[in-house]
Amino acid sequence: MYWVSIFTEAGIFAILALGLDVVWGWCGDFDLAFYGYLALGSYMTFVLAIGKPVPPVKYIIGWHLPVPIAIVAADVVVVGLAAIIGAIALRNLRDIYFAVTTLGAVSALYLIVQNYTPLFDGFNGVYGLINPGQAALRLTYNGYRIVLLVVVLAILFLAYLLVQRLSRSPFGRMLRAVREDERAAAAYGRTVFSAKYRAYLFGAALAGLTGGLFAIFISAFNPSAWTPQELLVIYAAILVGGRGNPRGVILGVFVVYTGFVELTRFLPSPASRPEFGPSMRQILIGFLIILMLRFRPEGIFRERPGVDREPGPGARLGPFRARAAATSAGSPPAGPAVAVAIGIEVQPRAAEPTDAGEGLPGRPSRGAPRDGHTDEDRGPQ
Amino acid sequence: MSPALLEIESLTKSFGGVHAVRECTFSVSEGQVIGLIGPNGAGKSTVVDLVSGFGQPDSGSIRFAGEQLVGKRPDVISRLGLIRTFQTPREWRNLTVMDNVLLARRRFASESLWRSMTQARRIRRAEDADRVEVRAILQRFQLAELKNERAVRLSGGQKRLLEFARIAAAEPRLIILDEPMGGVNPVLGARIGEAVGQFAADGRTVIVVEHNLPFIEKTCDRVVVMDLGEVIAQGPFSGLRDNPRVVDAYLGMDQSHE
Repeated sequence: MYWVSIFTEAGIFAILALGLDVVWGWCGDFDLAFYGYLALGSYMTFVLAIGKPVPPVKYIIGWHLPVPIAIVAADVVVVGLAAIIGAIALRNLRDIYFAVTTLGAVSALYLIVQNYTPLFDGFNGVYGLINPGQAALRLTYNGYRIVLLVVVLAILFLAYLLVQRLSRSPFGRMLRAVREDERAAAAYGRTVFSAKYRAYLFGAALAGLTGGLFAIFISAFNPSAWTPQELLVIYAAILVGGRGNPRGVILGVFVVYTGFVELTRFLPSPASRPEFGPSMRQILIGFLIILMLRFRPEGIFRERPGVDREPGPGARLGPFRARAAATSAGSPPAGPAVAVAIGIEVQPRAAEPTDAGEGLPGRPSRGAPRDGHTDEDRGPQ
Repeated sequence: MSPALLEIESLTKSFGGVHAVRECTFSVSEGQVIGLIGPNGAGKSTVVDLVSGFGQPDSGSIRFAGEQLVGKRPDVISRLGLIRTFQTPREWRNLTVMDNVLLARRRFASESLWRSMTQARRIRRAEDADRVEVRAILQRFQLAELKNERAVRLSGGQKRLLEFARIAAAEPRLIILDEPMGGVNPVLGARIGEAVGQFAADGRTVIVVEHNLPFIEKTCDRVVVMDLGEVIAQGPFSGLRDNPRVVDAYLGMDQSHE
């Protein structure tokens, strides 16, 4: 059951990371308010689903909606908040100014929630969403937790498919153009603010959804559950897995999150210093970020730009089949045959532009190809 | 003479106490290639920024195809059919050469978030036609071999060509080139000259801001000379040699330095 719990939490954070990657990875906006969207999604799911507060507990709304509907409604509220914060922060602010503004926004939200008790009962927080639907589904406690894991992974998979589709769409390409050079994007007709804003709301919607799942997962939520440090882990995960690459982001969460939770379990934790383990974890994550930035800043899976394949014979061959075709043709896997295989598959880089003369080097200015696909498509060796 | 596509009237802009552009007035007819020249600090680039919406004038009017551009954002102006370049090539560095030029095709409708989620296949099919055209454009600018390369890895000259490939793909009505010959060798310069000629042959209007006077002489129908924020002369290049103000401000200075 321990592992079920770990993987459920990692799955939830993976959905969050997918959303954050749209904002940070695709648009380049370092958003520090993002964990606040998860928190608000969680709070709203609670107050929409757990019914009237019993004094002295206080919170707003107190409806008794079915949990899935509560999650959707909570998500709408989250997107509403993101619409306000995004409208302020994204209009003219970039880089560190944007980050500071979002940090200010989430700090304000945190202070309000913590100190204004009628909202979500202040520091005590809200609780009471204990395995909703367990009785109706006639499941044991453990069975329920396994079903929850399956549901979370299924939602993660759907979220992945959606984000991957967007990533490859003209929308994803346009966002990256805005990230790479805003002025050029505007010069080619893109409305920078609206592009970033739409992506921001999409990311926040995923975060709000995560909040709802998180509410079911931990069945209680208070301000200590959403300190800004939590977001550091998500950023580290994106960085490790590969910023801008949805597959990498999910891998990063599972590596960083489960890896670090597990690693820190084996650290000595003296009774007199209970904070040793968690602090050590923060330090290790800091080290990991530094190491990644030094040795592989693009992450395990780097962002893959679209590869244009010519239509025509051989165009639909995958790298392996193209390779097989080259070798099965009977020629030794070297020289021209390989060049043909490479040519079909990815990029015919052989010919220099001949009529350009000495002034036009036909090669990319920096040496060997770094992209994953060009490396693996080198042919058999 | 065909009607003016771009009419600039009494354009004024100061930065603090510096008058970057003062009462600047000139117009550009459809299909012409105009050279905008003048010494450094003459206000040429400011004019380009004001026309393309990257700056707002203090006063004056800019009309493009009858439409007032003052107060409009750069993206809105671009959608009206005006594409400008910057002094240094501004490619989208980590996108491929192909994607750079595809983006310049400007299929705004398929960039909707909702349609990208729900109609991915239809959008992809529609894009295939664009890809065929873009491949031809890349061929023209000798970038076909590099189409799947990240733009950041191109050489300086190739980045210039990519800029022109993007303009060709965008099919704008008015093109403003801000120093296209900066840091360019003679061979590439000839290619750029050809590209400008091709744009003109396609009926596009071109404004070239440039210090390279032989290039201006060869490619431009008419020249506007600026100095200290004002237009001091305009007309065919050949007539400018005899204009004492131009000689004084620009040509004379250039010669005295050589």
